[in-house]
Amino acid sequence: MTAATTLTTDRLTLRQPQASDLPPYTDYCASPRTQFVGGPFDAAQAFDKFAAFAGHWALRGFGRYIMQQDGAPIGHVGPMQRDHRQPPEFTWTLWDSRYEGQGLATEAAAHVRDHLLGDLRWPEMIVHILPDNSGSIGIAERIGATRTDDTPPAWYEGAVVYRLTAEVSA
Amino acid sequence: MTVTFSTPTLETERLILRAPALTDFDVLADFYASPRAEFVGGPQSRELSWRNLALEAGHWVLRGFGRWTLVEKTTQNPVGIVGLWHPEGFPENELGWDLFDGATGKGYATEAAIAARHYAYDTLGWTTLTSLIAIGNDGSRRVAERLGATYDSDFTHERFGPMQLWRHPGPEALT
Repeated sequence: MTAATTLTTDRLTLRQPQASDLPPYTDYCASPRTQFVGGPFDAAQAFDKFAAFAGHWALRGFGRYIMQQDGAPIGHVGPMQRDHRQPPEFTWTLWDSRYEGQGLATEAAAHVRDHLLGDLRWPEMIVHILPDNSGSIGIAERIGATRTDDTPPAWYEGAVVYRLTAEVSA
Repeated sequence: MTVTFSTPTLETERLILRAPALTDFDVLADFYASPRAEFVGGPQSRELSWRNLALEAGHWVLRGFGRWTLVEKTTQNPVGIVGLWHPEGFPENELGWDLFDGATGKGYATEAAIAARHYAYDTLGWTTLTSLIAIGNDGSRRVAERLGATYDSDFTHERFGPMQLWRHPGPEALT
């Protein structure tokens, strides 16, 4: 069973990235919202990152979904795997602060978690979060991720490593 | 809505040009880790090589065109990446070529670039095409010359540094 290309939650459509997402993604990359992931990034960096985002689907058959609300892309959520020897990493991001505080990221992340760990029976995913990113830590805890003492990867120094396993995905 | 995109496959006398795939990763990572990658932002880590391969695949999704992995017919080995490229930060549509270790000196870059250029002109309807050549990359400049391209202007890429922009003959000059 391969990863669904589209998922639907109460309020969101989760779908694969497409060319029309590039302008709002580029705006997100230039904003302070990328502070926890090495940003801000200029338009050329945003293109490279988003192309890699889209290309991940082509290479691995799964990838991160665009969260779409009322037809507009508002963020992304899902698994990415740079190195096949490591478990996939689970990520979520809202592209603008006006989408915060409504539980949208949690709703999307919980749904994708259920699909991957439930439907597809993936054994585990990991989550990297910088310790001062309290919003993301809250989401990680709400979707059942457990904190570990594992060392983060070299490209994300200082991050705390969380683990998501099938047991918590009821 | 589901977005699917299929990369066309092209064929030349000695090569198959197909979509970048996961199976290209090891040889691509070796290329980017080698001194041969000095003109394309390398040498670099396997982690960055992964991003580069994903970028190659995703360029097709974002632009509707991109670069192909060259597969040598006799060995079935991936020997390089050639094709049409226009990421943000490039001045115009580009025809680019990178050959992996051991694949140089056989005319593969030229052979594949001719096929990619035909695709750009005949299938995509483009009317002009450029190639960016890093200063000092004499091998790449010679490929441009063999393709009939000529020096057009200087261009400084934010990450790759000073380069020369070469311009290919247009579709009318090739018929």
